[in-house]
Amino acid sequence: MIEINDVTVMFGGVRGLNALTARLPEPVTGLVGPNGAGKTTLINVLSGFVLPTAGAVKIDGQDLKGVKPHRRAAFGIRRTFQNEQVVENLTAAENIAAVIDNVPTDGPRGKLIDKALDFVGLCARARVLGRDLNAFDRRMVEIARATVGKPRLVMMDEPGAGLAEDESDHLRLVIKAIHDHCGAQVLLVDHDVDLISATCTATLVLDFGSRIAYGPTAEVLADPKVRAAYLGVVEEAA
Amino acid sequence: MSEQTLAPAGALRVNPTWIVGVLVALAALYELPDLLQDYWLRTFNSVVALAICSLSASLLFAQLGMVSLAQYGLLGVGGWFALRISHGLGVPFEIALLAGGVAAAIVGLIVGLPALRMRGLYLAIITLMMAGAIQVLISAFGFPDGGAGILGKSDTTRQMMARPFVADSDSAYFRYSLVVLALCYALVQAHIRSRPGRAWAMIRRGEVCAIACGVDIVAYKVWAFTLAGFLAGIAGGLLAGGVGQLDGSAFPASQSIMVFALTIVGGAYSWFGPIAAGLLLRAFPALLNDFHVDGNIATMVFGAGLLHALITAPQGVAGQIAGAGASLRKLVGGGKAAA
Repeated sequence: MIEINDVTVMFGGVRGLNALTARLPEPVTGLVGPNGAGKTTLINVLSGFVLPTAGAVKIDGQDLKGVKPHRRAAFGIRRTFQNEQVVENLTAAENIAAVIDNVPTDGPRGKLIDKALDFVGLCARARVLGRDLNAFDRRMVEIARATVGKPRLVMMDEPGAGLAEDESDHLRLVIKAIHDHCGAQVLLVDHDVDLISATCTATLVLDFGSRIAYGPTAEVLADPKVRAAYLGVVEEAA
Repeated sequence: MSEQTLAPAGALRVNPTWIVGVLVALAALYELPDLLQDYWLRTFNSVVALAICSLSASLLFAQLGMVSLAQYGLLGVGGWFALRISHGLGVPFEIALLAGGVAAAIVGLIVGLPALRMRGLYLAIITLMMAGAIQVLISAFGFPDGGAGILGKSDTTRQMMARPFVADSDSAYFRYSLVVLALCYALVQAHIRSRPGRAWAMIRRGEVCAIACGVDIVAYKVWAFTLAGFLAGIAGGLLAGGVGQLDGSAFPASQSIMVFALTIVGGAYSWFGPIAAGLLLRAFPALLNDFHVDGNIATMVFGAGLLHALITAPQGVAGQIAGAGASLRKLVGGGKAAA
């Protein structure tokens, strides 16, 4: 459960988020909006990279204010990046081990790594160096890193960008399975409306740092206000 | 997918030819000191110490992507404390060596503090200024040589540092140095292959990525600089033991730049790189002297070598040797297949 209470983020004179309030209880929540709407800013607030100018965020009822950014992974907040951040000189398995080093776990390291790699379908490439993995495998390593241990919240910043169709299908299956796999809630940012519709039970729409809609994905995406702001569909004057 | 990428990156693979190769190399290294003249033996003692110093610079550069231009200065710090403890307390060489390492580790930690906020050029400049500060202190106070007082400066005869009692002769000391070098490599490898190595790799990939994966980047950066300082300090103690005393005028900040530059030329990403750097730093000028050529010409060659490394050989000399070895194997293997 993500609770966002009256969060404002100022970048100089620009409002990244504008008194945003939302309660997101669904296992997979979509986060959409046009460029500059504040999607990545919200993820950065939850990751601790951006301090809110005002307001507070809570995960599972716990205020994140006092949790340092590097402690948030252990707390259970994980993320993938818009520009993937797989370590090139570590193998896929070592990439995951590097996270296990820093988070609470429930079992032997080797098993956890195997389980995480198996979840994203990378078992065969456990010992391949990051630099030798293709773009899709790197995304999968990021997801494996984000789901190992005991995550509470997995945030994904445009995981579907630049993927081929079959890869995109696999990605959907993985995203849908995250909650059952490790119990974490998923917050998914993407411009691909099909991906959002296929995976997210609820969707939050932002524009200019404010919420313009929240509800079941199908309803929200059909909302004329959302279509005008996000999809750029201007209702023709009949 | 090539075979190479499927090979376990961290695990040791036991290959019979490999074992034979290692045994032959060890035997050769053991016999080497008996074949060398005194001049070359002393040169090689310095080569080993400088290789450890270069190892400390390559640790920071290859693992964390950070440039420290203070490592030769830290070698001086380690040498100072090792000499001070050895002359003052008459302790065994190993204790003096470790004391020098610990002292340089503490100074290395201080050198590394700016690294918590800076990278690249700014960090390089700050560390160079630290090396400059060490240079000023060393040239002002000199190295202890058996005298009284805190500075331990003697007015009359300069005393030599006591060598380990198992390695009093030059050839025994060379073998002893090789063992210390191996231990330093083992220490670095133990770090790289475990938790600190993974954390360092994350930090090198991106600090944002490292933080998101829970890495305490402050702690791991400080630890890397401390470890690098320790290695440089050990190098200093080893050099002091080899030469017997250290010269206060031989620690200009420019030497620290030279160590870093030759670490790049040698190949910072390879295990052989620091050894190549040590050879270039000490054996190459000695070789020129042997041919009655001015050893200072080496500096010009190093400049050209650095340009060459930066432009065409990012893996340095070590990478080129590995590349040449691979082509040779291919050639030989290809010849066999054809025959």
